[in-house]
Parts: sequence; structure tokens; C-alpha cells
Amino acid sequence: MEETTKDLEGVVFSHEEVADGFRFLQIRIDGHLPCARPGQFVQIRPSRTTTTPFLRMPLSVSHVDRVGSTFGVLYDVVGPKTRALSDMNEGDRIDCLGPLGNPFPDVPDDARPVLVGGGIGVPPLLHLGTHLRSTGMDPILIVGARTAGKHLPLELLSPASEHVRLATDDGSLGHHGFVTDLLAQALKEEDKPVVYTCGPHPMMAAVASATESADVRCYSSLEEYMACGFGVCVGCVVERRTQANSPYDQFTRVCVDGPVYDATEIVW
Amino acid sequence: MSDAQQVDLSTRVAGIDLANPVLLASGTCGYGEELEPFLRLAEVGGIITKTITPEPRSGNRPPRIVETPSGMLNAIGLQNPGLEGFVEHKWPFLSTLETKVIVNIAAPTVEQHGEMTARIDALGGVAGIEVNISCPNIREGGVLFGCNPRASADVISTVRRHTKLPVIAKLTPNVTDITEIARSVVDAGADAVSLINTLVGMAVDIEARRPILGNVTGGLSGPAIKPVALAMLWKVRQAVDVPLLGLGGISSTQDALEFLITGASAIQVGTATFVKPGAAADIVAGLGDYCRKAGIARLDDLVGSLKS
Ligand SMILES: Cc1cc2nc3c(=O)[nH]c(=O)nc-3n(C[C@H](O)[C@H](O)[C@H](O)COP(=O)(O)OP(=O)(O)OC[C@H]3O[C@@H](n4cnc5c(N)ncnc54)[C@H](O)[C@@H]3O)c2cc1C
Ligand SMILES: Cc1cc2nc3c(=O)[nH]c(=O)nc-3n(C[C@H](O)[C@H](O)[C@H](O)COP(=O)(O)O)c2cc1C
Ligand code: FES
Repeated sequence: MEETTKDLEGVVFSHEEVADGFRFLQIRIDGHLPCARPGQFVQIRPSRTTTTPFLRMPLSVSHVDRVGSTFGVLYDVVGPKTRALSDMNEGDRIDCLGPLGNPFPDVPDDARPVLVGGGIGVPPLLHLGTHLRSTGMDPILIVGARTAGKHLPLELLSPASEHVRLATDDGSLGHHGFVTDLLAQALKEEDKPVVYTCGPHPMMAAVASATESADVRCYSSLEEYMACGFGVCVGCVVERRTQANSPYDQFTRVCVDGPVYDATEIVW
Repeated sequence: MSDAQQVDLSTRVAGIDLANPVLLASGTCGYGEELEPFLRLAEVGGIITKTITPEPRSGNRPPRIVETPSGMLNAIGLQNPGLEGFVEHKWPFLSTLETKVIVNIAAPTVEQHGEMTARIDALGGVAGIEVNISCPNIREGGVLFGCNPRASADVISTVRRHTKLPVIAKLTPNVTDITEIARSVVDAGADAVSLINTLVGMAVDIEARRPILGNVTGGLSGPAIKPVALAMLWKVRQAVDVPLLGLGGISSTQDALEFLITGASAIQVGTATFVKPGAAADIVAGLGDYCRKAGIARLDDLVGSLKS
């Protein structure tokens, strides 16, 4: 398996709608599998022939296939790039740059991983949960969505956890309310929880604040707008909380310094 | 000419010997290191560093980038480690490269340009200095110099006095007459001129009814600006007699050829690197193929071959 980051050419292997607007895309890479670790992402270019959409789009790797040479991404159609991607059919060629960014750090042996995801932030947590289970851990997966139709189907969620807990803003499925309610409950139940989160900014900010007051370690995977995805444009920054030694370090590049941060490092 | 025959892509621009005329544009290749996993830097003619300023800068508040039709807007605000941070942390890697390294500088005052130049000159091994008098995203310096022929000349003559290295002035397109600025920097001692930097632009979020960029306006780059860049290159080509480094939206061999034919002695690949990190190396290979097919032995012979 290749460990290095590459500009790879792949082929659409399968592509299907799995929830309202959400699509599951599997890409086969010729020759070598990019060995993405949980939390890493790829920069995908849906079209090579047009300049609109122009930039690549970062998508978290949600699935890796360790025997073959395919990997999967799950995405919500929200704008021009994701729309262009949704037009791709089996057999179409697709450019993938990656794997990029830093993975989620390892979980201490005696800790209980609690994964908290919302919307387009769920895919990296599926990769993480599946990986943790393969190492013998038993993660809890808390997932929030606006409404029942926006939730990924259970057959995609359950490989990542035997304890999937759902919430919807409108009460149409699972807990009526926010993931933070379910998180608070899990933090009460567990002796040594460690939280891993990815989702909309307000959700992650709430998770960061809840874990900080409970004195629980929390790793957040940020999803900022990106141009290059490998550190040269300095476009994808967020502000660091700690007083930097130099103004140069006030902002950190999510693509290469992240996307996973200890939640207490960031200004939310 | 048969395929086996060697094509000479080398050129000499403002006293800098380049293995080929394809450079990486400032602000789009960092300080080289991050690009190495994707692009062998030795394959390109040279690399131009992200602008450095006398003191470290944090840059603008995000959001800093947004995609636009066939391009993007950026308002990075020159986040950089400052001159000493560059010397300590970035130069050690750059100094090991086989390719030519041009250091791009900007400063809030005319005098500080001189001080920076002296320090960079003393490093030894720098191929040239590109002076960014054209950044649209900072409050002092940058485009404030580059919009005014007098101020542009003051900066360039100050840099000139502090070094024997080739001095390249990087011009902004956000002026009424770019040839006027080009003439003034050449008169002030610039050995070459790079053009163009980004065009000022803006994007609006209609839901929030706010500008998308934290800085409100930003610089437009990418394929969208290529025709503007070519027209400016063509005008400046007729106005001054120094080598020109053309850039603005170059992403393919065809684009590079258009600039070379119009009169650029070398070209710079900018935003295209974000979409395809190997774009510059692909262009180098493409130029070789083009020459072989067209029976051109020296790429340099093509420069400025535009017919009227
Ligand atoms: C590291 C990383 C991993 C990502 N992983 C996934 C993933 O697994 N699945 C997935 O569906 N999306 C993911 N995203 C977000 C995805 O890249 C964007 O949704 C996509 O680029 C939108 O492009 P567009 O042209 O379709 O929409 P645009 O027109 O660019 O945006 C449409 C709407 O989405 C919002 N948006 C745009 N970019 C982002 C972003 N980065 N984060 C949050 N909101 C955004 C915009 O504000 C706007 O409201 C990830 C982003 C990053 C940085
Ligand atoms: C994200 C970004 C950052 C840039 N930073 C700098 C910079 O620090 N100094 C500079 O002289 N030009 C900078 N530029 C301008 C480019 O070097 C180039 O002049 C411009 O983008 C047009 O070329 P392009 O369309 O090929 O990108 C930057 C451009 C972009 C897109
Ligand atoms: S996206 Fe370019 S530096 Fe992060």
C-alpha cells in the first residue's frame, strides 16, 4: 500500500443516493490504494474539462477497502461542485488528491470513544468508528440531522458503532433536540470518555464547550473552505486560542495543521 | 525534427539562467516545502516565494477565499513569518533546491524595502528579488505603491541601490494605464517586470446579505483573468525594453505559449497549482512536446513572435 500523498486518477466504481441529498461514491484507484486514515480527506475534481466549477472539493474519506483498491466518500449536494460530482456515473474518470491532512489521534486503551457528528461531518466519524471497532474498541456514535430524511441509513452507520444514537431538530426520528443533549447523557454514563466530533460549526462549538466544562478531551475535525488543500494558499485558516509567539501563528491552516484539532486549541 | 532530438527550453531572464521558462508564482507555492510531495521542484525553472514582509504578519480574518466563475478571490493579507522568520525557518530548505529561488518582498515603507533587500542579498544563493508593489489585500504598502508611478519608482530605486541581484517589479492590473507604471519601474532600475497580480473583486452571500470575504474585497485569479493579463502583457511589451514575466490564469501549455508568443520571456503558474499541483511540470513537458512537433529547436526563439 502506498503511504505517500499523490495526485491520483480514479474511476467511479459505484454512486448512489443514500439519504435525502446524500450520496455515497466509491472510487477505484488504479494500481494503488491511498491508505487514508480516519480524519484524512481527499481533494476531488469532478470535472477536468471545464473551469466552472474550478477548485477541487475536500471530502472526508468515509470508507476504505483494505483488500481492494477502492475508497468511499459520502457527500451532501449543496452547491455547484457537489452538483457536478453528483452527475458522475460509473466508469467516469475522476481526479483525487490525497490522502491529505492529519488523522484523528489514537484513543487511550482504557477510554470510551464518543463520536458526535452532524450533517456532512458524519462521514469521517464512520471511518473512525469502523477503524476503532477493528481494534477491539466499542465506540458510541451520536448523530444529528435536521429531519429524519437527512439521516444516513442504519446500514451505513452501524458498522461504525453498536450504539448509534440519533437526534433530529424536528423530532421526526430519535431524540427531539440537539446532539449535545445526547452527548451530555453519554458524558454522565461514561467513566473515561474521549470525544471526536465533526459537523456544522455551531454544533462543534457547542460540543467543544460541553466537553471543556466537563473536563473531557475533545478532538474536532474542521471543515473550512479550501483552495489547495496542501498548505500553499493559506486560505483555509482558523484562529488559534493560545497566544501565539508570532503574529504568523495566530491563524492555523486547517488542511495541513488540521483538520483535526484538540477543541481547546481553537477560537470557536 | 525527430522526437529524439533535444529541444532547448533554457533561457536567461534578467541575468538569471533558467533551465526552462516556467516559474511558480508568489503566494501559490508557499516556500516550496509543501509542494514537494506533488511536484519535483527541480523540474520547474524557478520558484518565487510567498511575499515576505519586514515583520511577521497574521494576515486577514477568514473567510479568505471563495470560488468564482473560472477562478477565485483571495484576501490572504500576506500572512508570512517576516524577514527573520523566513531566514531562520524557510531559507534553509529553499537553499538546498536545485531550481532558482526568487524571493518576493513587500514592506510598509520605502526604506524598509532597502533593508530587506540588503539582508536577502547577504544570504547568498538567492537568484533574484521580486518586489510586490501590487498586493491588493493589505492596508499599507503593496498596491498603494504600485498604483502610483512615483511611489513605484521610489521603491524600485531603493531596492536597486541595495543589491546587484536581478530586481523584478511585480505590477498590479488595478491601474488606469499599466504602461505608465512599467516605464517608471524600468527607469528606476528594474531588470524585469512581472505582470499581472490579481484584479480587485468581490462576492456577496445573498442569504446573509454580506460580502463573502472577511476583507470584503479580494484579488481575482485563475483562468478568468487570462485575457486581461495577455492584453496587459502586450501593451507593456511595447512600452518597455526589459524581459517580462507573464502570469495570470496560466494553467496549460497552450496558455503558456500564448504568453511567450505575446512577449513574455518566462511565465509563472499561480492558481493552477491549487487545482493541479503538478501543473507547472506538466507545462514544462508540454512546451518540450510542442517544440518537437513544431520543429522549434530553441523555445526562446518563440518569445515575442506575435505577428501584427
Ligand atoms: C476537510 C473537509 C472535509 C469535508 N468532508 C465532507 C464530506 O465528507 N462530505 C460532504 O458532504 N462535505 C464535506 N466537506 C464540505 C465540502 O467540501 C463542501 O460541501 C463542498 O466543497 C461544497 O462545494 P459546492 O460547490 O457544492 O457548494 P458551495 O457553493 O461551495 O457551498 C454551498 C453551501 O455549503 C457551504 N459550504 C461550502 N464549503 C463548506 C465547508 N467546507 N464546510 C461547511 N460548509 C461549506 C457554503 O457556505 C454554502 O452555504 C468537507 C470539507 C472539508 C474542508
Ligand atoms: C491565494 C493567493 C495568494 C497570493 N499571494 C501573493 C503574494 O503573497 N505575493 C504576490 O506577489 N502575489 C500573490 N498572489 C498573486 C499571484 O502570484 C498571481 O499574480 C495571480 O494570482 C495571478 O496569476 P494566476 O491567475 O496564475 O494565479 C497570490 C495569489 C493567490 C491566488
Ligand atoms: S487550503 Fe490552501 S493552505 Fe489550506
